[in-house]
Amino acid sequence: MTPPKIKIESLDFYYNTHQILSNINETIPENAITSIIGPSGAGKSTFLSLFNRLWETTPGARVEGRIQARFSDSFMDINDPKLSVIQLRRAVGMVFQMPNPLPMSIFNNVAFPLKLAGITEKETVQNRVTTAIKACGLWPEVKDRLDKKATTLSGGQQQRLCMARALVMEPEILLLDEPTSSLDPRSGAMIEELMVQLKPRCTLIMVSHQPDQVERIADQVIDFTPGSESCR
Amino acid sequence: MNRSFFQQKRDRNETAARALLFMSALVCCLLVVLILGFMVVTGLPLFGQNQAMDLLTGAWSPHNGGYGIAPMIFGTLWISFLSVVISFPMSLGCAAYICVLGPHGKATVMKRCVQMMTGIPTIIYGFVGVFLLVPLIRNTAGTGSGMCILSASLVLAVLIAPTMILFFIQSFDRVPRSWLDAVDALGGSRVQKLVYVVLPACVKGIVTGTVLSFGRALGDTLVALMIAGNAIQKPDSLLDSARTLTAHIALVSAADFESMEFKSIFLCGAVLYLITALVILGARLIERRGTHE
Repeated sequence: MTPPKIKIESLDFYYNTHQILSNINETIPENAITSIIGPSGAGKSTFLSLFNRLWETTPGARVEGRIQARFSDSFMDINDPKLSVIQLRRAVGMVFQMPNPLPMSIFNNVAFPLKLAGITEKETVQNRVTTAIKACGLWPEVKDRLDKKATTLSGGQQQRLCMARALVMEPEILLLDEPTSSLDPRSGAMIEELMVQLKPRCTLIMVSHQPDQVERIADQVIDFTPGSESCR
Repeated sequence: MNRSFFQQKRDRNETAARALLFMSALVCCLLVVLILGFMVVTGLPLFGQNQAMDLLTGAWSPHNGGYGIAPMIFGTLWISFLSVVISFPMSLGCAAYICVLGPHGKATVMKRCVQMMTGIPTIIYGFVGVFLLVPLIRNTAGTGSGMCILSASLVLAVLIAPTMILFFIQSFDRVPRSWLDAVDALGGSRVQKLVYVVLPACVKGIVTGTVLSFGRALGDTLVALMIAGNAIQKPDSLLDSARTLTAHIALVSAADFESMEFKSIFLCGAVLYLITALVILGARLIERRGTHE
């Protein structure tokens, strides 16, 4: 097993007074695919949102315990108030269940994180966007229509575009919330293949409802099913 | 014999209720048309003695038989336009803070405040304007009574702000959640979210809200009546006193029923009606085209 990338210690999560997660202790290995499984409502997506602190956008949400992630060889507490959530989210990419391209062109969608980060040098932007789109195997399909609206793409293409958008910042951790559940099997297979290809440069954490998918690509499984071994 | 389960049941009550509701709807619609017709018909005698254009563009001098309402049209447009110009940045900022920039708790409290503002009677705004703003403007400007276009526009700006803010909020809230999540997850700040995603998606909603608020400003009577000074003149500066069409109608309707002055206010009513109707129609047209993709 590769060295740990993230260490979670006695973690509790609440929405107002309702406890969603209780006393979670896990280690997530680097350059591997960790799959989170379990029934609906078990807190899988919530668990995923801990790593980029996206839960903070939900009013009444509260976390206790420690999550340490290793960036540039030293572990830091993700929930440390001194850690910039904006910097964190640039290092931890996320792909959602439903493809969510923004209402702009294909090119601008992938360039958008660079714009947010203040990277404006034209050649750099051009290169990084092209590299990210190529990495997602989307280049042949979109190279002639980069200025077209992203919504003109099919669902599977949109999801790969969203992956390209997440990858353009070269994140060390990539979160995926049921990334293939809204796609046809062929598009789903392409995403899976892509995830496996990403392992050498990324730590992937994926929520999945598909046992066969977990079987195929996951290196580690965290099971949220009540009563299961790794359920807290 | 049992009625079949699927047999259509002719319910007399249902028919009666439908008829009643249809009548209510019909009365409302007819009223809109009838009121305009009424104003045009009652204003017609004026056209017999003067040229129509004189009425719309000429000066108001009843002693010389001049019933031109141009000063009032100018006064109305000046005060309404200026109030929108003042209110727009304030309202946009407020809506942006409530929907995008501010923390949830604070934003909720502010939204409740804005909602409460819509319920405050206009007279309160006028009252506060007369006793607080007018003296301030008078002392600051150093000339005039303080009852001027600027004072009226400032108060009117506060009056129309809730309309604008709530409309903007409604528009901002329609931005798909998935877009906002995308910006959050990509490490965008709140300001970036506002500037790059929310505002571009809401341009049409913002324009519609602004135009509707302009319509609201056009129709308001009390603020201008209490604060603008009511002088019948074409205003040259913001510190000039002016009279709006609405204030004119309110003031003249106290005059003799048979006088020509009295008849002229129906023309004022018709003009006001038309301007407001055009503004609202314009806003609705923009809105219809402005749905999110």
